[in-house]
Amino acid sequence: MARFITTRFLQALLSLLVITLIVFSLSHLTGSPIDALLPDDATQAQIDNLTRELGLDRPLHVQYFTFLQNAALGDFGDSTKWKGSSAAEVVIDRLPATLQLGGLALLISVVVAIPLGVVAAVRKGSSIDAVASVIALLGQSLPAFWLGLVLMWVFAVILGWFPTSGYGGVTHMVLPAIAMAWFQIAALTRLTRSAMLEVLDAEYIKLARVKGVSERAIVWRHAFSNAAIVPITYFGVLAGSLLTGSVVIETVFAWPGAGLLAIDAIRGRDFPVVQSVVMFFAVFFLLANFLVDILYAVIDPRIRHQG
Amino acid sequence: MLRAITLTTLVFAAAAPAALAQTVTMTMTPPAVETNRYWNTPGDFALGPALQGLVGHNPETGAFDNSGLAESWTNNDDLTEWTFKLKPNAEFHFGYGPVTAADVVHSLELHTGPDSILNGISQLEGAVAEAIDDHTVKFTLPAPQVDFLFVHGGRGSLVIYSKAQFDAEGLEGYDTKPAGSGPLQYASRDVGRGLNFEKVEGHWSGTDVGYDRLELEFVAEPATRLARLLAGEADIAVLPREVQGDAIAAGMAVIPSTRASNQTAMLFNGTFLQPGDEALDKSLPWLDIRIREAINRSIDRNTMIDVLYDGRAEVLPVFAMDPRHEGYSQALADKFDAAYGFDLDKARALMAEAGYPDKFENPVIPILSSNLAGNPEFPTMAELMQVFLEEAGFQTEIVEMDWAGLGGLRNARAAKMFHPMRNMPVKPSAVGIRNYYSAAGRPRNNYEDPEVEVLMDEYMQSTDPDRRNELAAGIFDRVFHQYAVVPLASISAEVVVNPKTIEGWLYPGVTSVGFSHFENVDVNE
Repeated sequence: MARFITTRFLQALLSLLVITLIVFSLSHLTGSPIDALLPDDATQAQIDNLTRELGLDRPLHVQYFTFLQNAALGDFGDSTKWKGSSAAEVVIDRLPATLQLGGLALLISVVVAIPLGVVAAVRKGSSIDAVASVIALLGQSLPAFWLGLVLMWVFAVILGWFPTSGYGGVTHMVLPAIAMAWFQIAALTRLTRSAMLEVLDAEYIKLARVKGVSERAIVWRHAFSNAAIVPITYFGVLAGSLLTGSVVIETVFAWPGAGLLAIDAIRGRDFPVVQSVVMFFAVFFLLANFLVDILYAVIDPRIRHQG
Repeated sequence: MLRAITLTTLVFAAAAPAALAQTVTMTMTPPAVETNRYWNTPGDFALGPALQGLVGHNPETGAFDNSGLAESWTNNDDLTEWTFKLKPNAEFHFGYGPVTAADVVHSLELHTGPDSILNGISQLEGAVAEAIDDHTVKFTLPAPQVDFLFVHGGRGSLVIYSKAQFDAEGLEGYDTKPAGSGPLQYASRDVGRGLNFEKVEGHWSGTDVGYDRLELEFVAEPATRLARLLAGEADIAVLPREVQGDAIAAGMAVIPSTRASNQTAMLFNGTFLQPGDEALDKSLPWLDIRIREAINRSIDRNTMIDVLYDGRAEVLPVFAMDPRHEGYSQALADKFDAAYGFDLDKARALMAEAGYPDKFENPVIPILSSNLAGNPEFPTMAELMQVFLEEAGFQTEIVEMDWAGLGGLRNARAAKMFHPMRNMPVKPSAVGIRNYYSAAGRPRNNYEDPEVEVLMDEYMQSTDPDRRNELAAGIFDRVFHQYAVVPLASISAEVVVNPKTIEGWLYPGVTSVGFSHFENVDVNE
């Protein structure tokens, strides 16, 4: 097990290193922050001053190694858009809002998708199964930003049940959380349903039925506990997707989290913040998948032995 | 889809709850830089409700007036010394005392430091401010500047911070709660969300703001801003014109600035006609004046104004020329139809005369499609240009690029494109000519020619108002007859308001986004 964890950890570190290279390269390929920050009638002196101040006059590889060295210490430099704050501070300030929204979306996804997937599998071909299929279809075909706007229009502008947008209490979170969760409900429902169908067809389930075990125990204790490995595997992707999916939803709902921050930083070519927010997302994603790998190995001994 | 949904909601929207009149909420595009250090922004008007400059503007005419911190000003004959007399009763917020000449000197130092990214800061380059006495400050300039007031007015290249606050708290004091001197004072900043201001009771100027609190909300998505307005969560919204129709249909009202705040044009970038200019690419098709005229004549400006601006704009005869500024020529405006009017036959004849496309190494006109905050019509403008030009027989291609990307190319003098541009606020002629028609505007200018340079050299040095007027008019005449750019429209700034809560707002459209004079927002009780 220790060897398995060490291997996975080293793989995660390597991934992180590659991500730093990609993030640094892509952010520089999009152009210079000078072009975004300075006004249309900028003078050559202004251009030169800002280039020097941001360290953009140094060779690219020097900038990268400086970035890497500082990033290892959690220092991504100062934000160019949110003056007076470091990039990491800006991101850390916004993370709680994203985690609140993502957490609620995750909760909605799990609470809706798992029972729906299980019931759809148990009652295969029934009306509930049909409803689950429709939800899955709609969830995977409706773009989140479109769904977000429709929810905003219907439930905030027309009905006035919720605020349209902005940061606040639970009422502010309901519409964006649903819009974020919708796709994941669809994916998780389908996964749970197919995993359950496979397990429910297994010999040991039939044996349990023959032995007179109650249907509830068969479904939840014997079938679901074995089928759960599939949704658990997806859980890492789900957590990461909710975080990165926040980019669109937070923008539509003006929710001041890390997703909206990423968009604002990209628009303003705030390299330190773009790099910082992407690195936070990457670390979160890798961490989630690392934990899932461990969990997976704990649940299924074959994995850790293969690992 | 959004429009369809909106139209179905008219009845519901009309019944939406209205925001409290005592708090005015304005939802707007987020600023480029969020900070209380004004000089670290390109000129963030969002700080305008609290921070003031030396010179103000008449809200109806847009003319400079003494509604700022200076009660009067004088200049020497050669326009290199400007002396401002400060209002003796002007006070900073939060008990930081009177506004003095020392505050002006201190603010100039901050605004001209190496970290300044302000618009128009070149006008303050080399300027020295000297406190003559507590309420008199003299600026000495390295070269004559007839438009020096522009720096201090709505364009706001210099706003006045409290030196006393700086001495007590340093820059961190400004970051936490900057003391301004306007009729509204800074309350708080919600980073990424907005800025809040409070009314100053018994303001030194006697201005009595008709509401208690102003909240400026930063919301990037236009559809979300519209939703907030219709749901009664905002009283005022900055909306692109294609969304305004839905708001108007739902009972909202548009309030334009009293004066034009913006001019738009398409630029033939790379038209560097001075001999020996290494940045000149001789394959650009628009280096031939017949092609520039043909392109100008291919454009049906009235249709364009209907499509882009719902008909609420004027055809612009010369980009950067304005009746309020030097060198305005009514004769050019009168000649516009004859020289630039929509005439496809004439355009095609010019193209044939020039041998287009066969005699051109590269006949394709690259049209830039780009988004610029405050000008959401630019991508549609690019598509319209393509339609007009192809109808005339030009070969075109749309080049998609963000505005910053264009800025990078302009910095390198390599923006070889036919691209949109705005002049906002409408700048004094000397600034406009410098930016768009002269080598003095390098590296970001787009057009240069030897004849303009001769006129410009004299114009920059001249202090005689009549001569300056002649020279500016001469430059406008030259660029008009050279078809140097494609002038398009003169437009006002516009906000959409909920008439249940907002009665009116008188603002002249003189800032970089058009909005100012928040004390004039008239709320319904």
